[in-house]
Amino acid sequence: MVPVEHYFVLALILFTIGVVGLVVRRHLIFVLMSIELMLNAVNLVFIAASRALGTLDGQIMVFFVITVAACEAAVGLAMVISLYRRYGTIATDFLRTLRG
Amino acid sequence: MGLDQGPWLMPLAISIVKFMVLFVVLLQLPPILIWLERRAPALMQRRRGPNRVGLFKWRLWGLLQTLADAIKLIFKEESVPASAHKLLFQLAPVLGLIPALLVMASIPLGPDLLIAGQRISLNIVRLNIGFLFILAISSIAVYSVTLSGWASNNKFALLGSMRASAQMISYEISLGLSLVPMVLIYGSFDLYDIVNGQVQLWAWGIFLAPLSFVLFLICMFAETNRAPFDLAEGESELVAGFHVEFGSTKFALFYLSEYINMFALSLLCAIFFFGGWQIPFVSHEQLQQLLASQNLASLCGLAVLLIKAAFFMWLYIWVRWTIPRFRYDQLMTLGWKFMLPLGLVNVMVTALVLTTRF
Amino acid sequence: METLAIFYTLAALVILCSLMVITLRNAVTSAVFLIADLFLLAALYAQMGADFIAGIQVLVYAGAIVVLFLFVIMLLNYTPGHREEQGEGGHLERAFGAGLLALVAGLSVVLACSSKFSLVLPHAFPFADSGDNTYQLGVALFEKYLWPFELSSLLILLAIVASIFIAKKKPPYEGKRQ
Repeated sequence: MVPVEHYFVLALILFTIGVVGLVVRRHLIFVLMSIELMLNAVNLVFIAASRALGTLDGQIMVFFVITVAACEAAVGLAMVISLYRRYGTIATDFLRTLRG
Repeated sequence: MGLDQGPWLMPLAISIVKFMVLFVVLLQLPPILIWLERRAPALMQRRRGPNRVGLFKWRLWGLLQTLADAIKLIFKEESVPASAHKLLFQLAPVLGLIPALLVMASIPLGPDLLIAGQRISLNIVRLNIGFLFILAISSIAVYSVTLSGWASNNKFALLGSMRASAQMISYEISLGLSLVPMVLIYGSFDLYDIVNGQVQLWAWGIFLAPLSFVLFLICMFAETNRAPFDLAEGESELVAGFHVEFGSTKFALFYLSEYINMFALSLLCAIFFFGGWQIPFVSHEQLQQLLASQNLASLCGLAVLLIKAAFFMWLYIWVRWTIPRFRYDQLMTLGWKFMLPLGLVNVMVTALVLTTRF
Repeated sequence: METLAIFYTLAALVILCSLMVITLRNAVTSAVFLIADLFLLAALYAQMGADFIAGIQVLVYAGAIVVLFLFVIMLLNYTPGHREEQGEGGHLERAFGAGLLALVAGLSVVLACSSKFSLVLPHAFPFADSGDNTYQLGVALFEKYLWPFELSSLLILLAIVASIFIAKKKPPYEGKRQ
């Protein structure tokens, strides 16, 4: 039986890796992949907590998170394609039209 | 999962032995099927097909031709294109084989055997989410196709892989939807429960959900990229699709995983729609009494299941030499505009009938 | 004991794969490591008795979402060494990233080593660990969470329409290329 804190620590590390990827990488695809990593860290916490508390609510939350992640990926990637068509680049450094 | 409870070394050892047996049996699949795939069209087109290579003076209907071909294939030089992505190029064929074997591992092949007081089930792992596991793992098979096309760094390979992977993920949805009514009817994800629900002939899947069967049959061909849906290979347009650059053992691995996938889907078709190892009008218990042995009855069940699956393997070859290839837009239209809505309606109608009946 | 060993192996591999995902130059190899990552997480879920979620994880995440990523990467014909990748993350961001990672790594080592770290959670809760909770999950999903479930289907529909609309629309003007 693995103590539930171990899962939380793993999730913490995973989430941090996601944050670092989000901040450091300039390529939109990598940014989206980092977001997926962060969502997975959250899922891990939900499932570990669900087991520790003995309820299934956490697992159902994960179900919804996966749904949202699928939608996010679909819309996000569509936006990436659209941005690439319009500006010829998907580097976040160059997408600064709104910054003035 | 159950690792904390009780001894786990013995089941693990049994599983490993079972897997090795299964793997050795599956390795025999491609030679026999390739032989069949040459002889069957010969039969249909009233020609002879390869019938020379034999042992000394026995020709054995040319059965050894494929053995000779296999030896030739293995001894060819391994070549990696200079512009290919080295790691992914090596990895892609293996990524195709692993899901195929994992799917085979979770398909039950017959009732339990009883050897030395130990119940031995005729599958590697029994999962209570068996059906979901199969769907999940077979959705991984796409990566082999996608990555092999991309890693070859060849435009024909890339085109072929894009076609094939788009086709596979489109038809995977219909495949899943066509099996949902079966899960609803038999009330379980577990393939054992599904087979045990089909003891009576009238309870076979094909009678309870004929539309599901038709959808599944079409998806079966599309999922394995076989004719009439073999646009990914389309030798006249795309040379050979995603595996142009692969030779030698890597090519053989693609072949192996294709045939294992075909076999797995044939088994699934027999399990979901044709009662698995159930023999019409004779239940497993009656068979046990008749043969006075549980093991013999189980082996009988295994043989029945294999015969049913063999029919679908034959169907694969039969269709390949009967129906011409689809055009790509026709394929996508069929998948998204007909199969998907039909599958959804099928699920809804089944659910409605089931809820109103009880 | 074996469970703990399995957990540590899986955890180490998860961390390794995630690091590969964010550090590799090539988007395709990065996506491949993401797949491995998702698989390992599914194994962790299965270890915790969440079989159904593990199946869904592989089916939806590894089987559909990452395929989408790969498709887009191939459509954009991304090659390493593109102009945009050369301005990859300034020193400030890199220092921040490395610092944050080091901080969290140190923190987790401290947390793992200290015996005081224990949450106020009922440890020995009698929870079905055999993984046979798919049925209960279904009941909860269609009774307690029926409305969220229906809303999520609406969300998916919206996402489908939106992504088709966004990706299909031709740019009305030729935007300025930089």
